[in-house]
Amino acid sequence: MAKKIGVYLCECGNNIADNVDLDRVIEAVSPIHGVELVVKYRLLCSEDGKEFLRQSIQEHELTHLVVAACSPKQHEHTFMNVCEAAGLNPYLFQMANIREQCAWVTADKEEATEKALKLVRAAISRVAYQDPLEKKEMDVSPDVLVIGGGISGIKACQLLAAPNRKVYLVEKSSSLGGKVKGFEKLFTDMESGPALIEKETKSLLGSEGIEVLTDSEVEQILGFYGNFEAKIIKKPENEERNLSVGAVILAIGFDLLDTKEISQYGYGKLDDVYTSLEFEEMNIPGGTTGGKVLLKNGKPPQSVAIIHCVGREEKGYCSKVCCMYSLKFARMLKSQLPDVKVSQLYSDLCIPGKSYQKFYEDTKGLGVEFVRSEKSEVIQNGKGMTVKYKTKAGSDNALVADMVILVPAMEPSSDTNKFAEMLGVTTDDEGFLAKEHQMLAPVGSAVGGVFVVGCAQGPQNISESIVQSEAAAGKILSSLVPGRKLELEVKTSQISETFCSGCKMCISLCPYSAITFDEVKRISVVNEALCHGCGVCAAACPSGAASMKGFTSIQLYQELAELVK
Amino acid sequence: MNSNGNSTSVLVIGAGVAGIEASLLLANSGRKVYLIEKASYFGGNVIKLEEVFPNMECATCMIAPKQQELLQNENIELLTLSQVESVQGSVGDFTVKVKKKARYVDMEACIGCNACFEPCPVEVDNEFEERLSKRKAIYIPCAGALPNVPFIDTENCLRFKGEDCQACQEACMFEAIDYTQQDEELELKVGAILVATGFKPFDLTKTSQYGYKKFDNVYSDVEVERICASNGPTEGNIVLRGGETPSSVAIIHCVGRGEKDYCSSVCCMSSIKIAHFLKHKLPEVKVTHFYSDLCIPGRAYQKFYEEVRESGVDFIRAAVKEVTEQGNGVSIKYRSEDGEENTLNVDMLILAPAIEPVSGSSELAQMLGIPQGIGGFFTEKEPDLDSSVNTLRDGVFVAGCAQGPKDIPDTVAQAEATVGKILSLSR
Amino acid sequence: MGKEFTPRIVGFLCNWCSYAGADLAGATKQKVPAPLSVIKVMCSGRVEPALIATAYLRGADGVLLAGCHPGDCHYREGNYYARRRFALLRNTMETLGLEPERLMLAWVSASEGQRFGEVTNQFTEQIRQMGPSPLRKALL
Repeated sequence: MAKKIGVYLCECGNNIADNVDLDRVIEAVSPIHGVELVVKYRLLCSEDGKEFLRQSIQEHELTHLVVAACSPKQHEHTFMNVCEAAGLNPYLFQMANIREQCAWVTADKEEATEKALKLVRAAISRVAYQDPLEKKEMDVSPDVLVIGGGISGIKACQLLAAPNRKVYLVEKSSSLGGKVKGFEKLFTDMESGPALIEKETKSLLGSEGIEVLTDSEVEQILGFYGNFEAKIIKKPENEERNLSVGAVILAIGFDLLDTKEISQYGYGKLDDVYTSLEFEEMNIPGGTTGGKVLLKNGKPPQSVAIIHCVGREEKGYCSKVCCMYSLKFARMLKSQLPDVKVSQLYSDLCIPGKSYQKFYEDTKGLGVEFVRSEKSEVIQNGKGMTVKYKTKAGSDNALVADMVILVPAMEPSSDTNKFAEMLGVTTDDEGFLAKEHQMLAPVGSAVGGVFVVGCAQGPQNISESIVQSEAAAGKILSSLVPGRKLELEVKTSQISETFCSGCKMCISLCPYSAITFDEVKRISVVNEALCHGCGVCAAACPSGAASMKGFTSIQLYQELAELVK
Repeated sequence: MNSNGNSTSVLVIGAGVAGIEASLLLANSGRKVYLIEKASYFGGNVIKLEEVFPNMECATCMIAPKQQELLQNENIELLTLSQVESVQGSVGDFTVKVKKKARYVDMEACIGCNACFEPCPVEVDNEFEERLSKRKAIYIPCAGALPNVPFIDTENCLRFKGEDCQACQEACMFEAIDYTQQDEELELKVGAILVATGFKPFDLTKTSQYGYKKFDNVYSDVEVERICASNGPTEGNIVLRGGETPSSVAIIHCVGRGEKDYCSSVCCMSSIKIAHFLKHKLPEVKVTHFYSDLCIPGRAYQKFYEEVRESGVDFIRAAVKEVTEQGNGVSIKYRSEDGEENTLNVDMLILAPAIEPVSGSSELAQMLGIPQGIGGFFTEKEPDLDSSVNTLRDGVFVAGCAQGPKDIPDTVAQAEATVGKILSLSR
Repeated sequence: MGKEFTPRIVGFLCNWCSYAGADLAGATKQKVPAPLSVIKVMCSGRVEPALIATAYLRGADGVLLAGCHPGDCHYREGNYYARRRFALLRNTMETLGLEPERLMLAWVSASEGQRFGEVTNQFTEQIRQMGPSPLRKALL
């Protein structure tokens, strides 16, 4: 069928007409082969203009459309809608930006007209090579796999589980609750961690659509956004479960830095040097000391030193929550042993947010001592210990304590690399699972449909972890709607089976891991569900097999040829 | 409406980064969203920034695609110049009255060519540019602001003061300017409400010791953000009010913390960012921070701080006692940790104020029936044990700095969390 | 002296940062050189060296490649690929007898309307001084 290209020039009131001689453009482009008509209109984006355009497309049975007007950022969307209303595939339309990038930036009318002419010619030349594209949709599973049964994982499941959405919570240990169930008190409310976990787990188990798999390990996850296949092994019987889900949430938590690695604190050598987790454990009523804070000799301590930021220098980051829980420790000590002397050895107090300062002030009010210090060191001193430190002004000082609590840096959970490799999720410089976008996609990951929440992506307090879980749930609920298909990016990359030589160059370049290798056909294949349409593969393909819809080489060459004439 | 006869529409109050993110997610799930914004433009505090910490990413490049998406999403009704008047009903069935101020420019007819600005005879300080440049009575706050439709500020417009001026109307080819436009009252039926009203900086004129508004070369950090902005009043050139380039700059952290009694979370990082920007633009400039505790929580932040410190920026832990005028600059008297008193003379002083809820928060709190807590921020249901996005009223949620000071990623996470809560409400 | 030399310059601009910056230059009525015509691509990483080479072969005197600032790429890392290709292409150009200065890589953000004007004016002036591309002369 012969091409019938309609070219519409918008005067934009006087914005374009004043500085571009549109009649000359009409005269110059009318004879171009394939151009059915060239008309100018006062304001194409107006209601009248859009109606005129729609009727004109139908009346002249146009096969392609060029609109020379403002920036596509302003009205490409508008005119694509007009195309659809007129029954023309909206991808057979090209805009020439003769306002922002021509009429408004060129002082001389003659020069502006010449430039506009070039831009319109280029658009005509290009549009003839554009293909009709269709919006694609994909069937997706609304179900979700949540990995990690700590507070983050539990909370994500609570929001997600529904009669029409199955949620699987996989936990490798025998019970839910993660680290929080070992925290007798939580800041700032001083409520009980185990009680919180009990309440939340109960509410979770009561909801429809939830299946909890404890003592279970994730063996393998294949697939992509909307269609993942996960293999789960349940211990001890090694029973295998295969799950189909649309999204995966990684809520694998954190570990503490091994304080044995840092020798100056005497951990592992001196009797009464504890890590923060050991101190938490001591406070659990069902624990070894029956919830009592006791020294190894069975007596309660008279003086306790809490050393902040252990390993901060080595790790190179602030662990965000340690100042607050160190204050919490002071409160727990003071409530159990009112006469105990508590010293906080810290460098900078990091208590961000509206409610923490008050907690700090109240704690200080209990008579807790705050010593701004650095380079502390713990040595045996008779039956007790001496903590030597440097003041910030540089002088040496020391204090005596019979119990020392170390507050170590938080580090990525030992499972981090396993899941990073299994799913192709990247890790950041510190080894935590990296976010999709530092600012605007704080719970996404490098892989579409895989979300990272809580301390798996870095130190976080409980409330922040919960918010992240809910955020991941929000993203999933918004996109994987039961009974609805997932709309895909239209302008994606495609790889020609005929031309692909199987060199795999594109696979290593794709920022979204959207290209895989078909071992049978020995060619690269684009997964349109993952492709974001950047075109990096099309630019790199040595055999011209990869092309980007809407920005194919031939389209760009056609456009280019007119611009450099 | 869902099967229970409840409304599934959502009202989002505030079109900053939190409101935009939540609206887009809700709309993409199929919900109808009313996004109301008090200002004539949307984008909130973020669009005032040139770059964001710690990656120094261009804020406009980051947010513009989202703004564009918002304008094109058919499920979102964006109402600028609008404020809530009253709220009745309960979760699933709220009736909200909204007052939409007249823009006096027809959003449909205006094409954003800006031809109306030039003939306007009025010149007043541009509040968006922190009064560092002028604007007309008909204006958009800065180049690139969206929607790209001007607004007539009736307080300064001669016509609305009774004079016979119609300069802008005469200049408009599209008959977009309509002086007869009236304020409208809208009644919206929604199932849930999200409060995302954001923050404002603590009013620095409430502090006297730092010389703000008394000495020319004392600036707030937001003023400096605009000076750094390539679309700002100085086009990104670091110059003082008198036109000189500063050779020494001091930044005082935590201004207003004593008054507010909380740490505003982001000021250490944003001050470090300003230092980075200054060093980038003026490698020879001497920058000194005065701080008490460095609060740089999270992974990427410490690295950023170290990089900036290594670029030759001084950090002094000290209490600033007094700022006096000294030649063209100021003299800062401070007491450092070891108790010694010292002074430092600089050409430019930047104050990093605490952040607080926007004005009008109390009225909104009353209308919504949700309490305000510390600092006037909206109180969440169970601050430590549960999500911080539920308020004490069912169906009313809060996200971003309206709930408390936080950085952009935490704000976005809360916005997404409210979406999780709202979408799981009606199953 | 014959007719004054009017260079032909083509700019490949990424959709998210540089094209938006060029639009902002328009909205703020900056002066952008008339000889520069823009081709929009989604990402600077889409531009293959062959496309740039073709530009010269077809008669361009200068080519500008503009994308998001490092770290700001809308597609995470496309601009890094652009930068690498640019570096390689500049070396190749020299071997082909084409001055590497005829190719420019610029990072222009969506808020840098003014900078877009500056960058393009400076580049155009540079090309104007260099005169027509040797390839164009050969083709004529």
